Amino acid sequence: MMRRSPTFNDLATGLLLIAVAALGFWLAMDLRIGTAQRMGPGYLPRAMCAVLGGLGALIVVRSFIVSGAPREPWAWMPLALVSASIAAFALGIEKVGLFVSIVALVVVASLAAPDKRAGEVAILSVGLAAFSSFVFVKMLGLPIPLWPAASLLGLS
Amino acid sequence: MLDILANFGHGLMIAAEPWNLVYCLIGALIGTLIGVLPGLGPVATVAMLLPITYHLPPVSALIMLAGIYYGAQYGGSTTAILVNLPGENSSVVTCLDGYQMARRGRAGPALAVAALSSLFAGIFATLFIAFFAPPLAELALMFGPAEYFSLMLLGLIAAIVLAQGSLLSALGMIALGLFLSMVGTDIDSGAIRMTFGITPLNDGIGFVPLAMGLFAVAEIVKNLEKPEERSIVDGQITNLWPSRQDFRSSIGPVVRGTTIGSLLGLLPGGGAMLSSFAAYSVEKRLSAEPERFGQGAVEGVAAPESANNAGAQTSFIPLLTLGIPANPVIALMAGAMMIHGVQPGPQVITKNPELFWGVIASMLIGNLMLVVINLPLIGLWVRLLRVPYRLFYPALLVFCCIGVYSLSSATFDVVLLVIFGIVGYAFLKWQCEPAPLLLAFVLGPLMEENLKRAMLLAKGNPTTFVTRPISLGLLVLAAIMLLIVVLPSISQRRETVFK
Repeated sequence: MMRRSPTFNDLATGLLLIAVAALGFWLAMDLRIGTAQRMGPGYLPRAMCAVLGGLGALIVVRSFIVSGAPREPWAWMPLALVSASIAAFALGIEKVGLFVSIVALVVVASLAAPDKRAGEVAILSVGLAAFSSFVFVKMLGLPIPLWPAASLLGLS
Repeated sequence: MLDILANFGHGLMIAAEPWNLVYCLIGALIGTLIGVLPGLGPVATVAMLLPITYHLPPVSALIMLAGIYYGAQYGGSTTAILVNLPGENSSVVTCLDGYQMARRGRAGPALAVAALSSLFAGIFATLFIAFFAPPLAELALMFGPAEYFSLMLLGLIAAIVLAQGSLLSALGMIALGLFLSMVGTDIDSGAIRMTFGITPLNDGIGFVPLAMGLFAVAEIVKNLEKPEERSIVDGQITNLWPSRQDFRSSIGPVVRGTTIGSLLGLLPGGGAMLSSFAAYSVEKRLSAEPERFGQGAVEGVAAPESANNAGAQTSFIPLLTLGIPANPVIALMAGAMMIHGVQPGPQVITKNPELFWGVIASMLIGNLMLVVINLPLIGLWVRLLRVPYRLFYPALLVFCCIGVYSLSSATFDVVLLVIFGIVGYAFLKWQCEPAPLLLAFVLGPLMEENLKRAMLLAKGNPTTFVTRPISLGLLVLAAIMLLIVVLPSISQRRETVFK
C-alpha cells in the first residue's frame, strides 16, 4: 500500500462520526445502563455510540486505502448568507412578527444570488411577506405573530 | 372477496363526497406543482400543510396529503423530461431517457407515456392495496416486537441499496440517524438523554427541521454555487400522443415496473424512489438492446414512472396495516393520523374503516384527476419552470421557515433548520447520502421500543430474533440484500489488487 494523501471526503465523514460518537458517549455517561433484559435509558445510546464510533473509524481507515471522489470546494458565501437569512427569521419572528421577518429573510437570502436586482428583491420580499401573511395567518389561521405590536402584547 | 368489493364501494362513496373531491383535487394540484418544481418535495410540503389539516376531518386530511404524495410522482416526470432536472427524487431515473427523448423532439410522447404509465400503476396499486391490505393486517397480528424490529432493520438495509455512496458511509448515516433519534426524553424511564440541557430538545430533535434542513436548505445552497443553467427543451410540444410502437414497447416495462413498485413499496424504506431505481435497472438488464437506455428509450421512461407511482401508493400499506412508516412522507402521514386521534396499526381497518377505505378509494379518483391535470396543463408547468431561480429559492426558504415554525411555535426549530442546513451541505460535499439518515431517524424510536420489548419478553436472550421464524426470515432477507450490495465491490477490489 502506497502512502498517499487520504480521500478527504471519507476522512471528514469518518472524523465527524467519531466526534459525534465521542460527544454522545460523554453526554450519556450518567444514564443508567440496566441489563439486556431491562434496558435502561443509557443502554442503547451507548451501544449506538460504539457502533457510530466503530463505523467512523472504519471510514477513516478506508479513506487511506481507497481513493474516492475529489474534494469539492465549499461555496462559503451562499452558505453563510442562506444560514444568516434563516437565522434572521428566527430572531425576528417572535420579536418583530412574520411580515418583517420574511422581508429580512428574503433580502439577506437574495444577496447570495449572482444575478440579483435591487428592485426585484424589494418587490419579492414585500410580495412574499404579504402573500404569506394572508395565506398562512389570515386564511389558514396558523399561530404565527404577524406584527411587532401583536407579539409584544402576547397575542398570536 | 365480496366484502372487499363492498367496502371499496363504501370507500368510493366517501371519497366522492363533494368536499373530499375538492381536497383530493387540491392535493393532486399541489402535488403536481411541487413535483414539477425541483428542490421542493412532498416531505417539505406535507410538513408545511400538516398544521392546516388539524381543522379538517381525518379522512379529508389524509386524502389531500396522499394526493400530494402520488401527485408529486406525476409532476416530477415533467421536469425530468423537459429540463433534465429531477423534480422529485424518484424522477432522477426518468431524466436519463426522458430528456433524451425530448431532445429528439419526442417530448410529447415521453410526457404522455409517463402520465399513462403512472395512471396504470396508480389504478393497479389502488386495487392491490384494497385486496392485500386486509389479509396483511391479519398477518400483522402475528407480529411480535421481534418481528417488527427485524422488519425495520430490513427496511434500513433496503435503504442502503438506494444510497449512491459507499456501503460504509451509508451504514454510518444510518447509525447517525439512529443516534439522533435517541436525543430527547426516554419513553420508558422519563430520563432526559443527551440534550445538552437545552430544554426545547426534551421532545427530541424535530423531524421537520431535520428533514428540511438536510434536503431543502442544503439543496438551495448547492444550487447557488454556480450560475443557473437550465436548458429547457424549447419549442411547441406538439404531437402529444405516443406512436403505436411506443405503446407496444411500453407494455412490458409498465407491467414489470408496476409489480416492482407495488412490492417494494411494502418495505419500510421502500416507496417511490427505491421502486423507480429498481425498475429501471431491471428493465435495462432484461432488454435485448441495453445500449438504447440513456439514449431515449421509451422503456426507460415507462418503467420508472409506473414503479414510482405504484411504490408511492403501496407504501401506505405498512402504515395502515402494521403501523410502521415506510418512508419519511408516510411518517408525516402517521403524524397526521395521530393528530386526529387515529392510532396507526393493524386495528385501523377494523376500527376506522371509513378512513381506510375512503383514502384508498380516493387514490383511484386522484389518479384520474392527475392525468387530466397533467397533460393539458403542461404549458403552465413549463412556464413555471422558467421562473428564475433567484426568485424561486427565497420563496422556498420562506415556506420552509414558516412550515418549521408553525409546527410548535418554536424558534428553536428554526435554529435547527440552520444547523441541519449546514450539516446537509457538508454531507452533499462529502458525498454522503442523507436519505438513509432520515429513514433511520424516523424508524429509530420504534426500533428501540421494539428491541426493548423483544428483549424483555425473551428475558434478555438475543437469539429470540433468529429463533422466531418470521423474524429469522426477515433477517435472512436483510443479510441477502447486504450481500448483494457488498459482493460486486468485493470482486472489483480483488481485481484491482491482483492487477
